[in-house]
Amino acid sequence: MNSFLPRLLPHLLLGLALGFAGCKPSSEAPSAPSGSASGSSAKKKVAFVSNGVASFWTIAAAGVKAAGEKTGVTTETLMPVEGISDQKRIIEDLLTRGIDGIAVSPIDPVNQTDLLNRAAKRTALVTADSDAPDSNRAVYIGMDNYQAGRLCGDLVREAMPNGGTVMLFIGRLEQDNAKRRRQGVIDAILGRPSNPGNFDPPSGVIEGNGFKILGTLTDQFDRAKGKANAEDALAKYPDLGCMVGLFAYNPPLMLEALAQANKLGKVKVVAFDEDDATLEGIQKGSVHGTVVQNPYLYGYKSVEVLAELAKGNQAVVPASKFIDIPARQIRKANVDEFWADLKAKTGK
Amino acid sequence: MKKILGITTLLFVVCVLTSLASDSFLSAYNLENLVRRTALFGIISIGVAFVIVTGGIDLSIGSVVCLVGCGLPWLLTTQGWSVPAALLAVTALSLSIGLFHGLLITKLKLPPFVVTLCGLLLYRGIARGFTRDQTVGFGSDFKGLRTLATGEIPLPFLGGFSLPAPWIFLLVVAVLAAVFLNRTIYGRYLLALGRNEEAARYSGINTDRMVILAYVISSGLAGLGGILFVLDVNSAQPVDFGNFYELYAIAAAVLGGCSLRGGEGTIVGVIVGAALMQVLRNMITLVTTHNNIEFAIIGAVILAGVIADELVKRYAIRRRAARALAAEG
Repeated sequence: MNSFLPRLLPHLLLGLALGFAGCKPSSEAPSAPSGSASGSSAKKKVAFVSNGVASFWTIAAAGVKAAGEKTGVTTETLMPVEGISDQKRIIEDLLTRGIDGIAVSPIDPVNQTDLLNRAAKRTALVTADSDAPDSNRAVYIGMDNYQAGRLCGDLVREAMPNGGTVMLFIGRLEQDNAKRRRQGVIDAILGRPSNPGNFDPPSGVIEGNGFKILGTLTDQFDRAKGKANAEDALAKYPDLGCMVGLFAYNPPLMLEALAQANKLGKVKVVAFDEDDATLEGIQKGSVHGTVVQNPYLYGYKSVEVLAELAKGNQAVVPASKFIDIPARQIRKANVDEFWADLKAKTGK
Repeated sequence: MKKILGITTLLFVVCVLTSLASDSFLSAYNLENLVRRTALFGIISIGVAFVIVTGGIDLSIGSVVCLVGCGLPWLLTTQGWSVPAALLAVTALSLSIGLFHGLLITKLKLPPFVVTLCGLLLYRGIARGFTRDQTVGFGSDFKGLRTLATGEIPLPFLGGFSLPAPWIFLLVVAVLAAVFLNRTIYGRYLLALGRNEEAARYSGINTDRMVILAYVISSGLAGLGGILFVLDVNSAQPVDFGNFYELYAIAAAVLGGCSLRGGEGTIVGVIVGAALMQVLRNMITLVTTHNNIEFAIIGAVILAGVIADELVKRYAIRRRAARALAAEG
C-alpha cells in the first residue's frame, strides 16, 4: 500500500493536467501593435466567463476578441466545464491573477451572490447573458430573458393559431435566465399580462387560452437524454401539437427525434438560439421560427464597458444598471440574411 | 440462468406496470426507441462486463465514447477524411487504448482503478483539445453512414414495429461475447482468472494476455458505442458527451449478474440490466411529470429489486436447509 501512492501520483497529475488542458483561455487577443509599448500604464486585462461550453459562447468569444482589439485591452474567454464549482474556481483564479475586469454569466445567481460581491470588491464586475440582481455587479448586459421568452411564446401562438398541446424542452431550470425564459413562453402562450414574477412549477399541466402546456423536460446537458426526452414526449402524446426547445441544442435534438418518427412538419417546432440545424430547419419549413440573442454583442459590449470601468470611468453605467441587447425573432423571411451575418461575424 | 432470474423478473414487472399506467408504452414507436437505447447502452455494458469478469474495472468508458464520438465527426467534417479511413482510425484508436490499459495493468502492475481513472480524464481532455471545445456533428450530411444507428429494418406481422439497426450490432456482439465466454477455452480462462488469478496462472494460463484482451474488448466496444451514439444523436459536445456512461455500463453489468469480485457474468444478464435502466428512465417520462427525480426513482427501484432478490435467495436456502434437516430427522 505504501508504494501505491508514489506510483500513482505522477499518473494522476498527468491525467489532471491533460484533463484540464481545455480550460485554458479559448480566445486570446493577439498582442497589441508595439507602437504604444512605451506608454506608462501596462495593458489592462479583462476576462469573460461563460456558464458552460457551447457554440453560443464561441460567438460571444468572437465579440470579446473584437472589442479587445478595438479598445486595446487584453481579453480572454473562459468556459467552465463542471458547472458552478468550476465557475467559482475560474473567478477566484482570475482575482488571484489581479484581473482588471470580469464579465460573467452566473450559473446560480442567488447562491453566488457572495462570490460575486467578493469579486466586485477587487475588480470591475459586470454580468452578461444572465443577471445576478442582488449582487454588487456594476451593470447587467444582455436581454431580458422574460421578454425574449414572450417573443418565443408569440411564435408558438403564430404557429398554432387554433391552440393545441405544447411540450417544453430545456437543459436545466436552475439558472435565472432559464427560469425567466420558460416563464415568458408560458405567459405569452396563455395570454397573461407581462409579469416576470409569475412562476409555474415544472411538473404539472398548465391550461388556458386554447393551449395545453403538458410539461417541461430537462436533460442536464446530456444530449442522448435530450433526444430521449423528445422521443418519449412523442410516444406519450402521439398527437402533440408543438415542441419548444429553449436551449440552443434542444431544437436540433427535437428535429432528430421528429425525423426518426417521420413527423417532421407534422409537429410544430419553435426554437431558441441559432444552431445550424435550427436555421436549416427554418429554411426548410420544419421549424416555424426561433428567438435569437446577440451573443456577439454580449461579448463585445462587456469588454467595452469593462475597459472603461477599468480606467475608472463610471459614466458607461446607466442609471437602470441594465444595458439592453434585445432578442429578435427569426422566421423564414429573414433567416438567410441573419445566417449570412452570423457567418461573417464568426468567420465560418 | 438462476442468477439473472431476479433482474429479469424486475424488468418484466416494471414493463407490465408501465404498460398499465401508459397506453403509449407498448406503441411500436416507443418500443423501437427503447430497443435502440438498450442496444446502444448494452454494447458498452457488454464491454465492461469482460473487464469485471476478470475482477478489474474500466472507468474510462464514458471518455472513450466521447473521444470516438467527437473524433468521428471531427475527422469526417473538419478534416475531410473518407468514411472508411475515419472509421478505421477511431476503431484502431479505441482498441489501442484498451491495449495501453491492459499493458499498464499487467506489465507495470498498476491498479485498474487508477489506470482507467486517468484514462477518464485523459481522453475527454484530448477530445476537448482537438475540437477546441466546439460541438461537432454531421449536419445534414453522411445520411448513409448514419443509418447504421438510425436505420430500421421493418419486421412483418408485428404491428408496424421495425427493428432499429443498433440492435443488429448488439445481437452480433452479444452472440460473439456469449460464445467466447461460455463455449471457448479462453472464456474459461477469463472466468478462472477472475476467481483466482494466481491459481489460474499456476495452472498454466497466460493470465496477462487474457487480462489485456479483456481491456481491449472493453475499450473496443466503448468505441463502437461511441460511433453509434454520435451517429444517432448527430452532435457531440466534448464536455458532456458520454459523461457518466461508464457508471450506466457498470451498473448494467452488475445488475446483470457480474460480480465486482470477478469470476461471474452472463451476457444476457448484462443486456437485461441495460434494458432495465432504459425502461425505468422511459417510464418516468411517460407516467409521471417528475422528470427531476428520475435518478432517485431509478436508484430506489433497483435497490428494492436487489434487496428482494437477496431475501428470496436467503429464504430458499433456509427452506432447503430446513428440508434437509427434516429429511435427516
